Amino acid sequence: MADVTTPIPISVVQGRYLLFDTPTIAYLRREHNVCGVLIGTIPHVSQQNVFLGVPLELMPEEARVLVEKGVAYLVDDALAHREGIWGMSAEEQRVFKSILATQGRELSLAGKRQADKKREEHFKREREKKGKAKDKPASGDLLHLGVDEEPSSIASATESSQGAPTETDDDVSLFSGAPSTPVNAKPELDLLKKVDQWHITPMTSHPPLPMHAESSLPLPAVGSSYPLFSHLYKKGYFMTPGLRFGCKYCVYPGDPLRYHSHFLAVGKDWDEEFNLLDLVGGGRLGTAVKKGYLVGGREPQSETSTQPDDAVDVRTFCIEWAGM
Amino acid sequence: MADIDEDTMELPGAVNGDIDLSDETQDFRFLNVLNFTGGTDVKIPKRGEKDFEPHKTSLQSSTLAASREAMHNALSTPRVHKPKAHQIAVYDPHSNMAHIEHTKGSYTASMGIHKAGKLWLLPEEALHLLERGDLDVRWTVHEDTHEVNDRTHESGGIPMSLQGAYAAFIGMERAEGRRLTLEMYTVYSALKRGGYTVMRSEDWSDTRPPIDTSCAPKNGTSFLLNTWLGRLFFGSSPVPSEGYAVGPLVRPGLYRSYKDIYRLLNIVSTHNPTAPPSFSLPSDIENPFRLTYNVWKPNSNFKKRAPPPPDFRICVIDARNTPVPTLSQLNDLIVTTPYDPPQKDKSLEQSMKHGHRNVVLAVVDQVNGAEREAEDVDVDEDDEPPLLSVYIARRYGELRCNFRVTGINLNRVTPINLGPIHK
Repeated sequence: MADVTTPIPISVVQGRYLLFDTPTIAYLRREHNVCGVLIGTIPHVSQQNVFLGVPLELMPEEARVLVEKGVAYLVDDALAHREGIWGMSAEEQRVFKSILATQGRELSLAGKRQADKKREEHFKREREKKGKAKDKPASGDLLHLGVDEEPSSIASATESSQGAPTETDDDVSLFSGAPSTPVNAKPELDLLKKVDQWHITPMTSHPPLPMHAESSLPLPAVGSSYPLFSHLYKKGYFMTPGLRFGCKYCVYPGDPLRYHSHFLAVGKDWDEEFNLLDLVGGGRLGTAVKKGYLVGGREPQSETSTQPDDAVDVRTFCIEWAGM
Repeated sequence: MADIDEDTMELPGAVNGDIDLSDETQDFRFLNVLNFTGGTDVKIPKRGEKDFEPHKTSLQSSTLAASREAMHNALSTPRVHKPKAHQIAVYDPHSNMAHIEHTKGSYTASMGIHKAGKLWLLPEEALHLLERGDLDVRWTVHEDTHEVNDRTHESGGIPMSLQGAYAAFIGMERAEGRRLTLEMYTVYSALKRGGYTVMRSEDWSDTRPPIDTSCAPKNGTSFLLNTWLGRLFFGSSPVPSEGYAVGPLVRPGLYRSYKDIYRLLNIVSTHNPTAPPSFSLPSDIENPFRLTYNVWKPNSNFKKRAPPPPDFRICVIDARNTPVPTLSQLNDLIVTTPYDPPQKDKSLEQSMKHGHRNVVLAVVDQVNGAEREAEDVDVDEDDEPPLLSVYIARRYGELRCNFRVTGINLNRVTPINLGPIHK
């Protein structure tokens, strides 16, 4: 997979954190346990809601953890585009367009090759099928047909309505078409010029936009559950949004592609009061789906403590519905 | 192993086969299995088998690598425009819309506005088409204009990337009136992917949509008469309000009929759905509870110039910034929808589900849309006790509702499994 240069730009659009680059998305998943949620449409399967595509939206907590680790930085995308695109010089535009044009021709050529290959295979299969068919009864029929055709035109007309002569027509077109298919022998460059250029809508705006690894944007705002999030994150868990299960995060022991989640987590302030019924409801739901209902919060530091912020103690409690 | 059970186990009440696939992270290896060429009968794969926890075997890690690889491949599908289907739209920064001169494809039946020989697309429409790979949107760069005039129109402008499209159509929308938010777009594109026809509700930028009185109730006079008669016979003295604070509501005394007692118990006054609606809050541009989209089920005869009455009206809510609506906010939202009473022959439950006016609240929290339906439901015949507005939680995963919660008589909350809303 393609290498990714860190720090990674995270696009901020209307206060949401988005990623558009597929290698980056794969990299964060592989190396930094950050999954996010895909929200876009996959172009070739655009009529379903099960598999979604780029962009990937990050929770503010995920964006914050990445920024604090120095893996990523935030970019105000609207501003960057307003300055970057409308500030492009004619020369920059020309260069960018020629890059896209080359890519478009390459894709088009690849598409053409694939189509050729497909056609070739199709013909091959057809030929094999015909070969088999002719071995057995078809050969007799054709012979018979050949005899009939000369004496009476009426007979040939009835035969054609049965479809036998069309088979021979197919064969003719097949063999006349076959020699023209191996175009691949020609030199690459000529081909690139010859094919129709496909137009591309790129995923990201780099290029033409330059990468600035500095950001004036504030850290993503996160709620009182952030200490719990970063605690679990540091322990190597994967987190996804938990709205569907009535919790803040679903906590996975590994990539959610492969593993079931273990916990439904809710982060609280240390002295925050909450409804006892939430514990009952969360505990019951968690137990019913074989997960633990996890409540956690940061223990307030004593004033004498000089520990750095990372080492603060987050304590977690897991609640199970015993149902005795 | 626990994981096998977990795959088959469902929450109580859920019917097998009623699994909402979009609930979980999907294994992208199954995307290759999908066959979308076979017309309407699209097979959605069963969800993948998952493991309980990592146990560091090479089988497990290679399966995970394969899943990730499949996901990566699916995500990297390029958006290419072959010459035959290539259509260019030009981004207009002033209106934040895009316009197309030569349209190809059937989407024009339900999208865009024709103006001066061009098709103008709203931000969400242009973004959705670009995302599907059906539209090549171009930035117009000012320095480029002279050059464009020389060459053919086709080559003008800088192609807009997907990232650029999100930045422009969502990020650059000016804040006057109501702008397109990512929440609205999430709902819009989810519904479009599901096959619905979605159009903006007309009153996006007005200060406040008007009350929909399209259905002035026929029996308005008799309603008045009822109230009058009620006042004459029973209502000379209103319910003593101190009873509410300290109770009891029904003091010991002489009561000649049950009606007298019921009336004393009637703390929340009975809602008459046929009464002329009115706003209960002052007009406020910041009010998030307004109609956003009109939604129609798929219909080939749809005409965008003269659309039929929508099947659903949707109000998009951002869960993180918007608290649960108050009764008056709900009232103000619901009076902007037309009066649409349930049919007489429906069962009680069906007619309660239908309500007299209804609107769907699409609550978007961190990209997980949960759609709830608030309906103006009330049965006020024969001195029934007052009924709370009914809340229905509903999600369109794959056009299916999961459950609803109805609050009836203040203390009875029943989860009910609904059938598919579509097909």
